[in-house]
Amino acid sequence: MTTAIEMSDINQIYGKGIAEVHVLHDVNFKAEPGTLSLIIGPSGSGKSTFLTIAGGLRTPTSGSVKVNNQNYHDSSRKELEKLRLNDIGFVLQNYHLLPFLTVRDQFKLVDKVKKNNNLSTEELNTLLKQLGIDDLINKYPTELSGGQQQRVAIARALYPDPSIILADEPTAALDSARVEEVGKLFSDLAHERNKAVVIVTHDLRLRAFADQMFEINDGILTKAAIDL
Amino acid sequence: MFLALKEIKREKLRYSLIIGMIVLISYLIFILTSLALGLARQNTDAINSWNVNTVVLNQDANVNLSQSLITDKQVKDQGLTGKDALIGQISVVAKEGQHDKISSTFLGIDNNQFIAKNLKLTSGHKMKKSHEVVVDDKFEQSGYKLNDKIKLNNDDVAYKIVGFTHNAKLNIAPVIYGSLSDWRTLKHALPQTEASAIVSKTKKLDVSTPLKAYTTNAFIEKLPGYSAQNMTFSLMIGFLMVISLIVIAIFLYILTIQKLPNYAVLRAQGIPSRVLVWSTIAQSLILVLGGVIIGAILTTITAFTMPAAVPMAFDIPALAAVGAGLMVTALLGGLLPIRSVIKVDPVSVIGG
Repeated sequence: MTTAIEMSDINQIYGKGIAEVHVLHDVNFKAEPGTLSLIIGPSGSGKSTFLTIAGGLRTPTSGSVKVNNQNYHDSSRKELEKLRLNDIGFVLQNYHLLPFLTVRDQFKLVDKVKKNNNLSTEELNTLLKQLGIDDLINKYPTELSGGQQQRVAIARALYPDPSIILADEPTAALDSARVEEVGKLFSDLAHERNKAVVIVTHDLRLRAFADQMFEINDGILTKAAIDL
Repeated sequence: MFLALKEIKREKLRYSLIIGMIVLISYLIFILTSLALGLARQNTDAINSWNVNTVVLNQDANVNLSQSLITDKQVKDQGLTGKDALIGQISVVAKEGQHDKISSTFLGIDNNQFIAKNLKLTSGHKMKKSHEVVVDDKFEQSGYKLNDKIKLNNDDVAYKIVGFTHNAKLNIAPVIYGSLSDWRTLKHALPQTEASAIVSKTKKLDVSTPLKAYTTNAFIEKLPGYSAQNMTFSLMIGFLMVISLIVIAIFLYILTIQKLPNYAVLRAQGIPSRVLVWSTIAQSLILVLGGVIIGAILTTITAFTMPAAVPMAFDIPALAAVGAGLMVTALLGGLLPIRSVIKVDPVSVIGG
């Protein structure tokens, strides 16, 4: 089986001289298809940097990243863009849905760019129902609550049917009931649809759904026990 | 295009205001262009109707028709052909008892030469003898009729209007075509004075001192006030183009800056920057195209309602060129926001 994400000896250093900050230290990480990985850590621990490197948005100072056996280092900007469009679904804490597109149009935009292998209408409807936003399809983001926008952003990231899902604090704007539902959704995506799901968060309520959990502190990633 | 149209549809008020501004600018540009063209034509209508390539003047006249005098000997030495014609020019004030005075240009011409032969009349007939004149239809618009007798300057002799001709204007003033002998009388010229100038269809005419040949374009450029007037209009139109460019650039830039976090998310999700760039270009083109079309409709309405006395020429190719110029400014105006779109960093929305 191909490893979905493999990060080896990743170091990330910002700045130079006295302004130098070592954000990630020799990070090694693997995520297999069909697993949900949880990266827990406080603010400023390097979680987001980890995620941007895993998603090919940032080149690490040293180390290598492979996604579905494709090494980021050997990929052009366009190839990385294509990889993100086809294989990686980003669920971001700052969901920033385009304010002038209805929920339906947010998906249409994906159709305009990625013509094939997106979720079918039926699959999308099921996903929207699972997220409890199926009746909001004709609404604009400004007509939705923060939690509803968050769920639309999750659906939007899942719509291209990526093999890898990278989520940055996906439950930040959700109440406990919704956290449960979203956690289950990610768990189902991993276990039933064989996706590699990586969630960086400080929301410990998601532990119940994780297959492996890591803690990140001062840029050092260590495996942690899922202690429920 | 999808994003551009969706945004315009959603943000109707915001985009209506921008289109409204472009409408006003394009309308102003169209009207100024028409006015510039109309005034330019009124300077040169008569000359253009003769289809001449060369104008021969006295070399000491400083390329000024009214200052030029050519003697009968010089004409004889030049040896006129069928492609050459004499004109005698003098500025006059035409008056007739009940109508307004009209400042005009009297042009004395020879009935046997091509200017008189090719004169196209809208009514009446060509002048056959002295004291008969064919006048520009501005006289007709001012209430003058065929067979009216006009007096020129303080001359006691009455000149009978025997015909009207269309678009016969020189240096804005309507032209009164008469005979060369009448011109000599009005000019109080010496008997040996033959004309003010020789105009010729020949491109390169050899002349001897003190005559000097000028191309028609060179002659027109030296018409009093012509170049200054055209440059003033060009400057105004140019400024308006630059203003429209700045308006489009600033508006699109502000709108794009507001969307950068959204675009950053899209970029993170793999939406290619070309999609976002094209959306910005499409938006800029839609805005200007919309503005220009409405501006053109307003200009058309203006063209139909404008009194004939207003010197405006609605030349479709010229206005289309101005419209195309505005579209180019739209593309240029889109460059600034496009730069921001290209440079948007997806990491900025994730932090870390």
